[in-house]
Amino acid sequence: MTRSRFRLAGLLAVLLTLALGLAGCGKDSNNNSNSNAGDTGAKTAVNLAYVGPLTGEAANLGINIRNGAKTAIEEYNKKADRKYTVTLKEFDTEGAPDKATTVKDQYINDQSIIGIIGPAFSGETKAVIPSLQDAGLVMVSASATNKDLPNITPGSTVFHRAIADDTFQGKGIGDYIVDKLKGKTVVVVDDNSEYGKGLADDTVKAMEAKGGKAAKRVKLDPKAADFSAAVNEAKSASPDVVFYGGYYQEAGRLKKQLTDAGVNASFLSGDGSLDPGFITAAGTAASEGALLSCPCNLATETSSGKLGEFFKSYKAINGKEPGTYSPEAYDVANIYIKGLEAGNTTRAKMLNFVEKDLGTYDGISKTIEFEDNGNIKTPSLYVFEVKGGKITAKES
Amino acid sequence: MGYTLVYGVLRLINFAHSEIFMIGVFASLFSMHAMGIGPGDPTKTGLALVLVLLVTIGAGMVASGSAAVIMERVAYRPLRRRNAPRLSALITAIGISLFLQELFAVRYGRNQLGFPRVLAKRQLADVLGANVRTDKVLVFGAALVLMVGLDRFVARSRLGRGIRATAQDPETAALMGVNIDRVVLLTFLLGGLLAGAAGALYGLFFEFAKYNIGFLPGIKAFTAAVLGGIGNIRGALLGGLLLGLLENWGASVLGGEWKDVFAFAVLVLVLLFRPTGLLGEALARARA
Repeated sequence: MTRSRFRLAGLLAVLLTLALGLAGCGKDSNNNSNSNAGDTGAKTAVNLAYVGPLTGEAANLGINIRNGAKTAIEEYNKKADRKYTVTLKEFDTEGAPDKATTVKDQYINDQSIIGIIGPAFSGETKAVIPSLQDAGLVMVSASATNKDLPNITPGSTVFHRAIADDTFQGKGIGDYIVDKLKGKTVVVVDDNSEYGKGLADDTVKAMEAKGGKAAKRVKLDPKAADFSAAVNEAKSASPDVVFYGGYYQEAGRLKKQLTDAGVNASFLSGDGSLDPGFITAAGTAASEGALLSCPCNLATETSSGKLGEFFKSYKAINGKEPGTYSPEAYDVANIYIKGLEAGNTTRAKMLNFVEKDLGTYDGISKTIEFEDNGNIKTPSLYVFEVKGGKITAKES
Repeated sequence: MGYTLVYGVLRLINFAHSEIFMIGVFASLFSMHAMGIGPGDPTKTGLALVLVLLVTIGAGMVASGSAAVIMERVAYRPLRRRNAPRLSALITAIGISLFLQELFAVRYGRNQLGFPRVLAKRQLADVLGANVRTDKVLVFGAALVLMVGLDRFVARSRLGRGIRATAQDPETAALMGVNIDRVVLLTFLLGGLLAGAAGALYGLFFEFAKYNIGFLPGIKAFTAAVLGGIGNIRGALLGGLLLGLLENWGASVLGGEWKDVFAFAVLVLVLLFRPTGLLGEALARARA
């Protein structure tokens, strides 16, 4: 008995060490990667902050944003004629509102931080807007799309986003289905999440405004592996278009199961599905021709002009290809840099610059101009198509 | 069935059984990688297909079987030796379950991993509106073989008799020369092998692997076992079939989002009137 007790204790000790080691590695790699490139010599140092997930379920998305901002800052720090040297400080929220509220004091109390890139998600943004407003610290999110965000703190001046909200996307998708795809029998599927259901509702509303309608609304349980009930319901309507409101892993599995069941309708989904993980989940064959929409722009290998240059620069700096929201984050960082070059080096001045003096900014993702409530003035919707196992631009 | 077997013998709900299943899914995926089958490869036919399927399912069974045995040796046997209360074993089970899930999440990421397609999903026939497809036939056939095999094994073999004896009365069984430790270990092995085969089939059918993939099938399997009468092998089979039918019937009548609500409402009703499940709690009395 004693022997086995020792063996058990030994095993536990090994496992514990392993677990601690892994956790330790994760922490280190997150905290040490700031973008302090090149000489610092005579330039004054200025800090910006990235706020959003770097670990947890939604880490991929946060890393896309962080790397996009990092690309802009490293490009700037290499310029010889620059006035400042910018450092990007990183604050990991795991994308969760409760974590975001415990982290927020760290960047609000650090007076060297004059602008925030993020927060990444709507929920965490909602949770920190009031505190940011009190501190007079300006934020520009590259990715928070909930339509209520401008109204969290009435008359808020700090909130901005470089992307259209969910209502706009739903309307854009509805119009696209009726006008471009000429969908006659449209089946609308969603995952019953706040995001998925909201997007599906807005899409149906937009279709109805144009005289169309959804032949069938279908719900699925995103936790299940087997979507056969949803697939059979969709199949029985013999649709020519299937729209899915939800996230990429389920979107991919749904598309695959639809194809296997012999449903050859055009498949369309929103920004939640715009991730290479969609293609992994559906398989190259079933994902071919699937349409994915997003109020964000993507930089791909085949992008031309400024997006194409960004693709190369991002890949050189980060060692991988840019993803969803990377171009928007790049634009946000460059807006702050433009403010710095104009001499806005305090929180109050930077807030005033973004709120009043920016005017229109010609970004790589789109032309950005903020309305008084922080929303973008001329939003646009982009549609991407899966071709040969890659996400490629189709139209906007 | 793993739940039923282990419960029957030990009066223990092994919550980590769903992670044994998950290990089976991952092992079958890695066996495909080891055979050099990539995501874009064409589907296999004839002898190659049979070979690939056997290796995949075999890999799932071996990995899950060994994982179950290791789990029994490391986590449960020490507790049993010391006559720890049953609650400790239950907590241990939940702990192992979380530990294995997080281990796989950290090691392989939280995104799903795709399976290559080895079996072409071809429609074979249309029976009363039901779509009979190659992969469904495979899963159905394999499940049938496993079920009948297990039932016969427990009813007929020497070891099966040992398992039944231990379930009935461990002390008398020990007096009659049954090695209880060996029987328990083999019960875990048997449960693991079945979970591994199920994991491999699940992977071949749904074509993805994920760290928490075992959770829902685990809950469903447990429910099926309770529905049929936990500890009763034939009960588990009946419970599984019934649960599947109920769920899908409920989904088609009330809509997909009501699938689980409906199935579990029926479960609660059944338990109200037959607290021991449809066939009663009796692994020991299951005769040939």
